[in-house]
Amino acid sequence: MTQLGELQDALSKFRAAGIKLYAVSYDAPEALAAFAAARGIEFPLLSDPDSAVIRAFGILNTLIQPEDIPFYGIPYPGTYLVDEAGIIRDKFFPRHLANRSSAETVIDSALGAILMGDDEPRARGGDDAVRVTAFLHGGGGVLKSGPVRRLVVRFELREGLHIYGEPVPEGMVATSITVQGPDGLHVEAPVLPPTQPLVLAGLGVTLQVWSGTVDLVVPVWADSRLVCVTRPVDVPSATLDVTVRYQACDDTTCLIPRTERLHVTVPVEAHDVPNIDLLAKNGQKVTSMDSMTHLDTLVRRFLPS
Amino acid sequence: MSRDEYTDEFGFVAPLKTTSNQRRIPDEGFSTGPEIGQRLPDFTLSDQRGRSIDLHADRADAKAAVVFFRSAVW
Repeated sequence: MTQLGELQDALSKFRAAGIKLYAVSYDAPEALAAFAAARGIEFPLLSDPDSAVIRAFGILNTLIQPEDIPFYGIPYPGTYLVDEAGIIRDKFFPRHLANRSSAETVIDSALGAILMGDDEPRARGGDDAVRVTAFLHGGGGVLKSGPVRRLVVRFELREGLHIYGEPVPEGMVATSITVQGPDGLHVEAPVLPPTQPLVLAGLGVTLQVWSGTVDLVVPVWADSRLVCVTRPVDVPSATLDVTVRYQACDDTTCLIPRTERLHVTVPVEAHDVPNIDLLAKNGQKVTSMDSMTHLDTLVRRFLPS
Repeated sequence: MSRDEYTDEFGFVAPLKTTSNQRRIPDEGFSTGPEIGQRLPDFTLSDQRGRSIDLHADRADAKAAVVFFRSAVW
């Protein structure tokens, strides 16, 4: 439900990118109507009550056994991005089944660019030659349980300058990023855009470089030490310490290698839970719909009549 | 943090034990359905207002994001 709320929050961004949004689950239309009313969902929530479409796609969660009522029938959670012709252009299935891609990750893939949101927390470094901005991208840069955010380090290089990707010859500095945060912040391997080859003819060396505006991305997500389903958040913000090392050069000269330490402080939000006694009443955000009635209906769907 | 039976190897705590089927995490890759480059399979389902929606007809030559989610109930 965190994911659906965030998709609704991003609906105007989807529309601006020309993307129509649909979400499919095994819930009954009545449950989806109640949820849509409780959370102000305006895009289609599609009901696949016998999981026929989920099966046809081949994404039924088969770790769950048929006797595990009412969990059997859910999909491995993921998103497909299709183009105007209906061809799948990208898909997003996080490795951990509790994680979801942020809405902005899907939109950026369609646009081929990362659009920094005005509300996303950031820190700036660098100078006139190389401007460096670190920002937490997606969902307004709020850490929650579930969504994978992307810590983006954006380099804006003065014309003629470039920075280096791996590998570099000895004595040169490849661009590197490390992100550290509080206990419970998972930091994944950086996702780097393709480099361009730069041939130094006189030396017989080919270097891998980036120029212009370059976004280096580090996916991050919070586990239960930061946001737990069974209790309120202990600390309402987290600081991500981002260390960036790089060296900018033009065709003849190099600037001094730099190491920047940027601190991006981001909000941490309480777990978003359904209105079920087992889960609620521990300081989390509770959705106002009557989940027990619909959970009861869901269980009865599977029971012999 | 204690690594008790309610905390999985990634650090997620939930009111269910990690041995519960619905909390198990695939050891290796899991099926993610049709591949990039293929056409998204056709389907028609009812939405929250009871309207029947044929995905490809409804998107009407627009790009689309199709999200498969767990449940809006739990």
